[in-house]
Amino acid sequence: MHAVQTQFWAVRDYLSPVLRESKFKEHGRITPEEFVAAGDFLTYKFPVWTWEKGDGTRVRDFLPKDKQFLMTRNVPCLRRATTLAYTDEQEDSEKLLSFAEGPGSDKDEDWVQTHAGRTEAEGHAVADITDIPDLDGPSQTTSSITTGLNNMSLDERGALDAHPIPSADEIPDIDDIPDMEDEGMEEPEDEAAAVPEKPAATEAEPIEVAKGNLLQVRTYDVMITYDKYYQTPRIWLLGYDESGNPLTPSQVFQDVSAEHAFKTVTIEPFPHSTTLTAASVHPCKHASVMKKVIERMNAGIAEEQKRLGIASAKESKDAKSGGKKWLGGMVRKVTGGSGSESPSTGTETPASDEADGMRVDYYLVVFLKFIASIVPTIEVDSTTAF
Amino acid sequence: MPIVQFVPFSSSVHPSFWHELTKLKIDVLKLDSSRVPITASYTAGKTVLDRETGNEIGLGCHLTLGEDAFKVDASRPAKHATKISGTLINFNTIEEFKSSDKAALFNDLADKFWSSVSAAATSSSSTTSPPPQLNTFLLLTFADLKKYKYYYWFAFPAFMASPPWEIADPGWGLAEDAFGREGLEGVREQLGGLEGQDGGAEGSFLVRRGKEGYEVGRLGEWAEFFADVPEEDRVVAFLDPSSTLNPGWPLRNLLSHLSSLQPGKPLALNILSWRDTELPTGNKRWASRYGRISLPGATAELEGKRPTAVGWERNAAGKLGGRMADLAPMMDPTRLADQAV
Repeated sequence: MHAVQTQFWAVRDYLSPVLRESKFKEHGRITPEEFVAAGDFLTYKFPVWTWEKGDGTRVRDFLPKDKQFLMTRNVPCLRRATTLAYTDEQEDSEKLLSFAEGPGSDKDEDWVQTHAGRTEAEGHAVADITDIPDLDGPSQTTSSITTGLNNMSLDERGALDAHPIPSADEIPDIDDIPDMEDEGMEEPEDEAAAVPEKPAATEAEPIEVAKGNLLQVRTYDVMITYDKYYQTPRIWLLGYDESGNPLTPSQVFQDVSAEHAFKTVTIEPFPHSTTLTAASVHPCKHASVMKKVIERMNAGIAEEQKRLGIASAKESKDAKSGGKKWLGGMVRKVTGGSGSESPSTGTETPASDEADGMRVDYYLVVFLKFIASIVPTIEVDSTTAF
Repeated sequence: MPIVQFVPFSSSVHPSFWHELTKLKIDVLKLDSSRVPITASYTAGKTVLDRETGNEIGLGCHLTLGEDAFKVDASRPAKHATKISGTLINFNTIEEFKSSDKAALFNDLADKFWSSVSAAATSSSSTTSPPPQLNTFLLLTFADLKKYKYYYWFAFPAFMASPPWEIADPGWGLAEDAFGREGLEGVREQLGGLEGQDGGAEGSFLVRRGKEGYEVGRLGEWAEFFADVPEEDRVVAFLDPSSTLNPGWPLRNLLSHLSSLQPGKPLALNILSWRDTELPTGNKRWASRYGRISLPGATAELEGKRPTAVGWERNAAGKLGGRMADLAPMMDPTRLADQAV
């Protein structure tokens, strides 16, 4: 069944025309050119992201040959999303998620709220947790989109809580792999080799290990492709466990917030490789969510710009600092939170077209913050200092 | 003085590497189990802020193999990554994989590698010599293509110094304290220029304290670069994949190389573990570390002979043993169908 569906998607993707007109403010959809522009901005701003060519036979001709998709490797994932302990403060964020919908709006049209499945999650996915640690007071979960947006400062601390997930199935059966020691062969004593620390905690943190509250640091390779049918970026995840073994799909789903696993996140063939399959967030609702986020941002920006416009009218085009401010400003606007002032990192924002609100270059930055709400423990959002 | 400990590499194999290996095995190698040259890469060690505890968590000392591993002459590694070349031996059966004489394979590789490390040393006085190969790896594999299972075992040969290197008090400190922010910024800037010209010598470079801040040079230019520089102003730097207190594995062979320049003599070096390929953001400090290490004169009998080599990777259980990547859940069509909703 799935194969048929995949085939169908491929055909539909093939037949759908390439979006030419810029529509990102109206629908949240972007053209390939805009995708490239936003990707260029992302790679320039955050060098952990790079453009990749992908498989030579899978080149999408509406994108430049050497800019087929974006990738970042070794994205850390300290804890499992299934073990996230939620606080009541998420109520706020949920309200914000259903923004901009009239009272009569169809609930189905909303993006699935990140924490709606809380009780359910505790029911099954977290079943094997024996003691759920206390929450520390006023901390917040960082995992909804709005707090994700709010989370511009590095000092933000989430109430992500960890518990080791039984790892019996994570260590492959290595009985049939020869052990060097079995063969009576040993390496010379090597006192200069550091004993691998487990988990790879820095010297500052021996307590965590002692508590048995072990971190399981997984890493992810994250790819962003352009989905021609939905005309949005699409995110792909390839996971590895602590010892570098690829994760199975069910293990990947541990890092997806309960509501999205198996529904919006599925395992699909990766479009830029002939053989690879990866977990992907299905992009069918991306456009509408992005549209809402952009609308909120634009409203914020417009206000901010009015203010700035008066202040800096005399300074005319010297809008560099303004560019920085409006992003921070609009983010606070959107989230409605009282987030700490985003640290001024001296961003050099080419700030033309300010009157038009958010520029399309920021699309992927915003998109990543949105994705961070679906995979709350994977640190895809490297843009926190922004 | 405490001895210097090095964080071993841990392998990180991208699934696309196994896909490429599968293709290669079916289309090219077939039953051939000879050596295949491959490449891997590493980047500076990264840490991540644990939002729960506020601690920095190190992300290990990874050597990454991707799908471009078989394209040995592929132009450049990703930005800020250092490429090292290695050898792949793919066995046809699990029995061969198990029964292969691993010690012999390893020693064979170590012999060749030592001649690279030390022979390059003798000729490095001339500026034209290519940078010595200071890191390599051996990868033994068996690909069970029907079950999508890949058995593998890495070795990252490194030579033991005897007696071992020692680190002077106060141990490894933050480079920021020794160089100052401006100093490190200067190093970073010049490093960008160095990278432009086909990289430093496999991720190692030299730094000297000049009149106007710090200057950066290539490892191969040792004699000229350090000509009139007092010993305390000479710094040997390398791209450090480790994210913990101890320096990463590549330093080990770099030191072997440097000590083979003057065999048997005591040696003292200032080491900069370079980890700041990305500018620190916000209030973060520069991650690079700095230490002064020394080698109390080696025993003369070792001269000319290859030091003992170590470096088999330990498996998840911490033992010397192979590993297995099971890609069935991600590749097997029937199992994928089960996952689909």
